[in-house]
Amino acid sequence: MVSDKVSYIGFTCSYTPLALIEAAGYTPYRILPVGDSPDQAGQILHDNLCPHVKRVLDRALSNDLPELDGVVLLNSCDAMRRLADAWKKARPADRIILIGLPMTTDDSAVAYFERELSRLVDTLGQWSGRAVSIETVRASIKKYNQLAVLFESVRNRFVGRGIIGGAVRLQGLYNMAVTRPFSEAYQTIKGFIDDLNSPIAEDTGIPIFLFGNVLPDPEAFGLFESCGVRIVDEDLCTGSRSFAQIEMDGERKIFSQLARGLLRRPRCARTLIPMTPGAIAGEVLSRATACRARGVIACTAKFCDPYIARIPGVREALRKAGLPMLHIEGDCTMRSFGQHRTRIEAFTEMLRR
Amino acid sequence: MKQFFDDMTAKMEAGLLEKNTARQKFNLEVTRLGQRLYSGNQRLALCGVCAPFDLLNAMGINSCFVEFWGGVLATAGIANEFMEEAEHVGFQAESCGWHRAVLGAAIKGMMPTPDIMIATSSPCTGGVAAVENLAQKFGCPLFVLTIPPDDSERSVRYLADQFRSMVDFITTHTGETLDGGKLKDAMNKTNQAREIALEVYSLAQSIPSPVKGRDLVSVGLTMPLFLGTETAIEIAQAYKNEFTARIERGISGVPGERLRLIWLQEAILFKNPLIKMLEKDYQATVVVEELNDIYWEPIDPGDPFTGLARRTIAFPFNGAVERRIKHIKKLVQTYRIDGAINPCHWGCRQGTGSRGLIAEALKDLNIPVINLEVDCADSRNFAEGQLRTRLEAFMEVLGSISSERPVEIGGQACTI
Repeated sequence: MVSDKVSYIGFTCSYTPLALIEAAGYTPYRILPVGDSPDQAGQILHDNLCPHVKRVLDRALSNDLPELDGVVLLNSCDAMRRLADAWKKARPADRIILIGLPMTTDDSAVAYFERELSRLVDTLGQWSGRAVSIETVRASIKKYNQLAVLFESVRNRFVGRGIIGGAVRLQGLYNMAVTRPFSEAYQTIKGFIDDLNSPIAEDTGIPIFLFGNVLPDPEAFGLFESCGVRIVDEDLCTGSRSFAQIEMDGERKIFSQLARGLLRRPRCARTLIPMTPGAIAGEVLSRATACRARGVIACTAKFCDPYIARIPGVREALRKAGLPMLHIEGDCTMRSFGQHRTRIEAFTEMLRR
Repeated sequence: MKQFFDDMTAKMEAGLLEKNTARQKFNLEVTRLGQRLYSGNQRLALCGVCAPFDLLNAMGINSCFVEFWGGVLATAGIANEFMEEAEHVGFQAESCGWHRAVLGAAIKGMMPTPDIMIATSSPCTGGVAAVENLAQKFGCPLFVLTIPPDDSERSVRYLADQFRSMVDFITTHTGETLDGGKLKDAMNKTNQAREIALEVYSLAQSIPSPVKGRDLVSVGLTMPLFLGTETAIEIAQAYKNEFTARIERGISGVPGERLRLIWLQEAILFKNPLIKMLEKDYQATVVVEELNDIYWEPIDPGDPFTGLARRTIAFPFNGAVERRIKHIKKLVQTYRIDGAINPCHWGCRQGTGSRGLIAEALKDLNIPVINLEVDCADSRNFAEGQLRTRLEAFMEVLGSISSERPVEIGGQACTI
């Protein structure tokens, strides 16, 4: 008899190779900073640390998680490294691995990350008690590529004409896809695409490009809409950066391709392009212009150094291009996010004039 | 700023003739470094904290980490206006004061224009962001070093390869090449300085300790800037001579030493009364700062890139907190520490982020820890009265739990 029990591996970063987790027989479960877990992380982590990792730790401390067979964290930033430390303290019985993540995307960085991915597969194989074959990895990458293609299709439609349920619905789909088994995620997105041709009411909101790091709560997108905002595209680690296709070439080493694909997907501000310091400003401007946004909202978790240190540069680039920007900081709760309603309304009103 | 360093250097050179202390020697070399950074005589690299400065010195590149400016400005009591400038253009007050100060200095046109910039992923992502912002501001080429969190062979190899690429990058953008002989010589000098520093720190462990006040403030953090040169050897030797003489003469750094403290992370560099208060009111001495230690093996001059990679990865703030805790525990035991002060530099996610775990770990050794809420560069939020009160309470607790302990003077154990 085949067990229908889902074995989850927790993860927190959009650079995580979901395909490897799936190839090892697990379901990747993104520990999103959502829910009503009481604030307890402050017992271990300082107040000035990123609320994303603190909310994740709150969930771990409150057992507000499915049963996890292990946790995969990436050494993406100071806060994630501290989360790895704190997790070991909070849940010492959990299996956990911290994977090195290069700051750049050059060939030597790809080679290093390739070896880290190989180490991850070995570890996952030990956890599951069965070796993970290259063929399984290849097949899993293909599966997640299919999911990425579906999301790309939804996103194109979202950017072009909008989708039923708007940004709220899209965020719900992202959240589902990073927490449910692949087959369920795939079928749900596919079903959604089949309904894409249904007529939708015209949205008269102000077109806005949204960028930043962590904003998983669909309710936040509802708040934007209720303030007269129409999100026409976004670049968030809990949104469009969750899934991207990995270029596959049957001839080359699979881990190398995966490493390259993950590192060179739309990037978090923590990853640098040394040839172009401050490149994120140009990227935001380019994306905002491409989707014909009339303004930009930067939405960042408080104390997130990779983003807050780049905001002045982004603001300046947008100012020169005549695109207004509103910066919203939050602690990953709707409680804090709701406090920005007046500012968002004022921003929208200003753009309507 | 150039004038500032010129004036300070002249003043210290004169002062050194009157009072020739190791600290003055160290301070003088710091201001001389400041002069060189503004001299325009040599190529200039602004870097992250973990750049291999001895390698850069071997290539004839003037260099320092960007936080150095924050330190100099804070010590001079003028950091606040630069931080305000940075905040004015949108750098948040919740971010690291060292970085805000240097960004403000750059915005105000007070920084020398570097030829190249080298970011290091360790110790912090905030530092990488600051270096990237400065590279954009100056329009100069940027190289990024990813410091792996672990010392596995593949991680060491990856970092060593990055150092080799960094040398190519420097040559491409400055024309300066790496001479094998000069590199070997630099590594030998690094090793010599390391050996003497080991002795200095060993002397500092004596009971009572010859260390007083600000003798060794930020020495471990700043010394890497001089590695690979005679200067590092001279500074280390000056401390060795001074501490040896004090011990031989039975001079304690703090008269009547009663309590021995470790200062975690980094020092508060703007003028403040805390150290004096500890010494005067409680006969408590900060015998060691967390980074005042030799945590790395000698560099093999025949394979310098591997040795430099191992040293860089071994930096206590790099990687998982377990490594940092292990290092702190070692210091606590070798220095026979009574209590720990953690300034919890506000805005430092990597350091302050782990304060709870550090306090918990030191509890295992029965070492009380006091966490202070300060920004070590920013005096605007320095709540002196509150900090004094908290420290006083902490010292009273330490005093009450401190038992009789053996004292070593000139190598002989006795009891006070």
